[in-house]
Amino acid sequence: MSQAPMPDFSSSVKLKYVKLGYQYLVNHFLSLLLIPIMAIIAVELLRMGPEEILNVWNSLHFDIVQVLCSSFLVIFISTVYFMSKPRTVYLVDYSCYKPPVTCRVPFATFMEHSRLILKDSPKSVEFQMRILERSGLGEETCLPPAIHYIPPTPTMDEARSEAQMVIFTAMDDLFKKTDLLPKDIDILIVNCSLFSPTPSLSAMVINKYKLRSNIKSFNLSGMGCSAGLISVDLARDLLQVHPNSNAVIVSTEIITPNYYKGNERAMLLPNCLFRMGSAAILMSNRRSDRWRAKYKLCHLVRTHRGADDKSYYCVYEQEDREGKIGINLSKDLMAIAGEALKANITTIGPLVLPASEQLLFLLSLIGRKIFNLKWKPYIPDFKLAFEHFCIHAGGRAVIDELQKNLQLSGEHVEASRMTLHRFGNTSSSSLWYELCYIESKGRMRRGDRVWQVAFGSGFKCNSAVWKCNRTIKTPKDGPWSDCIDRFWDSFLYGDWEIVFLGFTHHPLISCQLIYSFS
Amino acid sequence: MGRSQEKGQGQSPIYNMKLSTVGATRPTETGTTYEPTGLDLAMKLHYLKAAYIYTPEMARDLSVTHVKEAMFKLFDQIAWTTGRLWRRDSGRPYIKCNDCGARFVEGECNFTVEEWLSKPDRSVDEFLVYHQPVGPELPFSPLIYVQMTRFKCRGLAFGLSWANVMGDSFSLLYAFNILAKVLSGEKFYAPETSTTDKRFPNPYPTVKDPKSIKQVDPVGDLWITPNNKKMASYCFNLTVANQITPHFPMNGDDQIPVFEIIAGIIWKNIAKVREDPEPLTVTIIRKDPNDLKPIRSIRNGQMISSVHVDFPVAEASVEELVRCIERATDERCGIDEIGERCDGSLDFVVYGAKLTFVDLSEVDVYEARVMGKSPESVYCNVEGIGEEGLVVVYAAARWEERVVTMTLPEEEIEWIKSEFKKCGLIAP
Repeated sequence: MSQAPMPDFSSSVKLKYVKLGYQYLVNHFLSLLLIPIMAIIAVELLRMGPEEILNVWNSLHFDIVQVLCSSFLVIFISTVYFMSKPRTVYLVDYSCYKPPVTCRVPFATFMEHSRLILKDSPKSVEFQMRILERSGLGEETCLPPAIHYIPPTPTMDEARSEAQMVIFTAMDDLFKKTDLLPKDIDILIVNCSLFSPTPSLSAMVINKYKLRSNIKSFNLSGMGCSAGLISVDLARDLLQVHPNSNAVIVSTEIITPNYYKGNERAMLLPNCLFRMGSAAILMSNRRSDRWRAKYKLCHLVRTHRGADDKSYYCVYEQEDREGKIGINLSKDLMAIAGEALKANITTIGPLVLPASEQLLFLLSLIGRKIFNLKWKPYIPDFKLAFEHFCIHAGGRAVIDELQKNLQLSGEHVEASRMTLHRFGNTSSSSLWYELCYIESKGRMRRGDRVWQVAFGSGFKCNSAVWKCNRTIKTPKDGPWSDCIDRFWDSFLYGDWEIVFLGFTHHPLISCQLIYSFS
Repeated sequence: MGRSQEKGQGQSPIYNMKLSTVGATRPTETGTTYEPTGLDLAMKLHYLKAAYIYTPEMARDLSVTHVKEAMFKLFDQIAWTTGRLWRRDSGRPYIKCNDCGARFVEGECNFTVEEWLSKPDRSVDEFLVYHQPVGPELPFSPLIYVQMTRFKCRGLAFGLSWANVMGDSFSLLYAFNILAKVLSGEKFYAPETSTTDKRFPNPYPTVKDPKSIKQVDPVGDLWITPNNKKMASYCFNLTVANQITPHFPMNGDDQIPVFEIIAGIIWKNIAKVREDPEPLTVTIIRKDPNDLKPIRSIRNGQMISSVHVDFPVAEASVEELVRCIERATDERCGIDEIGERCDGSLDFVVYGAKLTFVDLSEVDVYEARVMGKSPESVYCNVEGIGEEGLVVVYAAARWEERVVTMTLPEEEIEWIKSEFKKCGLIAP
């Protein structure tokens, strides 16, 4: 009986080494090929001896014209290459907003307020309670002051004051960290999906900090939780066109005006999950920032599934039967998210995966499609492509699903889970809280690759790949500084139940997120 | 808004009321509970109230945000008071420390502080205290209500309503003193109440049948004292030299027992009005004389004692009554035992079970300084008292004065007032 597990163990160990050997062979194929070639040349040279080498050298008739032409050609080609190379875009630094403790909303408080506000709909209150219990949110998430009232007082003034509070605090912190002067900002991008006043939030920032009159400012609204990466994409494109510039991105979601006051269950979900937060990011293409920048942007892939009706309508802002506006989340949300992620990964895979994984995938594809072999679709191991993962903290189910399907360990999704627990779903800024978490844990080393993936209404799936430019010291302040010690290295959730939409009674589709061509 | 409106004072002068919640900054560990003692449970139908008024000079710059921040810091020290009551399987209530919070009420008033303070009957301050009883759903009833009222002149009033099950008046006043310190920017740290602190020293044997407690009809989960009579409050000031000492012969350099004299005078006058039955037994509630340390914790540490006389009170001299009051018997152990025995399933009243006199004069309520200035006026009372009535005596702004808040059956109040006018306690 004791002999049965042993062969499994030894065979799995053998398999592991075979895999490692295969990966090393394929990924370093060229370098490995170079070694025998260099060995052969070295042997030949040694065999020939110094006089023979001199003879070979003299036999090459070097003409001065030929030499000049070849060198000009080399210089010309290298100049064209360096000129047409896209400018490297760096992320110099970023700061995340830490809400004041007076905005804290423990579970019990949220539930008590719900009961008082929705006293005519006990079923809705019970639904909210169930959602909150399974949401993955902790006891320290924060809502803006206006939402603390019974009933909430979401006036335009309150919304503006929340916007000022979250944006200005994050920006002040960013200025302090990077020694950036407001008048030096060349590009300003603010993204906030659900609050879009006139003048815009970017105008509000320009007014507050007295930014330059020739600043290029943009205000993105309505683009959902993935708008943060859309802003990064926009900043990157602008930094290609404008040399020697920097860009400040502010990603936030203003909760105050969007608190749903009705009792339609599908629309109560955002009330339970969305919380206050914002992030301010400084990006630059200046050579001088190369030394102090934290990350380099390697890839940014945007996938939009809006052409498909089901995807378009799955996160839809509308009025309920009583005329109250809220965001309706469809039951197919997880499946649609899966499709969008699949499309995104199909594009990003070849850019980031090592040759070994791509080869395996290709072989698996050939085998299944051309030879019709009954193989399971091969899921490439993304852990070989990235050291760190920042999955948008949309909800516990999203993180659970991605962890399961990409076969990520608890440590890989820890940043996402902890951000959801401590800050809730802060929409577009959650990716930055997660990145900050990884840095606060002291895990970010030079050369580490980070994958940020976010989903948003539309339906969109955007992902960004960053490479760490310098080993980052654990920050002394920041949103995680007072609580990072409380979060252990492997915070495990025991409950695998995937109940994102509590009112569905059937288990959600275990979506084949990757490469399901059947 | 609760019983204060029923006290015949008409439309509330406070408008634009907004409710929210304040709690502690740090999350409490899941599963933390606070177990009330038998004495706590015996007092559960009572609610302690206090109102502090500050002039515009002190309070003009205090915004709601400042106050809420200060409240959060206060509740960090006493986070268990932000929990909610649940019942065990046996039916015994306990406090689940779930950080639910205290209710915070903002209001505005069309009067200036001067106009407000010029009203002769200080029981108008009841409007400054938002009160709701615990229940009908225990897990969703806050134990503390804080009202912040902004006057027309930018003065401020703070009203606290505090469920007696958590702690006594001394604890409430202590908590407010901490809040005032935090508002003024001082750092403060309150030591935790250990379980030994909660037990009071017991030099006396258990009183078998404490007279200061009375069982009432079961109230279930809505903790309101069942009363047949409508109660009304009246609040007035007394000057020690002019109105109190004349009633008592001075014995050399002895300390004047001011509270006892006031209690004696009022007892006598109430006995004149209330003939059937005459109040031969009264309850005296004051700070525990054995507790030499100043109050540093939230608990029911007050001394509850009973005085019984055999002679008719209306004809007795104030001196005799004062002597009897000084010999009151401490009945806390008996009350605690009764509370423990029934496991919180029976309901009692202590304040107002017999005519009750509460002595808060040893507490310096004017210590609650904001920006270095004491409050202009402080008001104290108890909500949910029994039909026999309650008299609360506490310090006034001027050291030679005392404030008396009486809560008596409505039908008796006018008679009592006329008796007081006769003996010079209140101006005719």
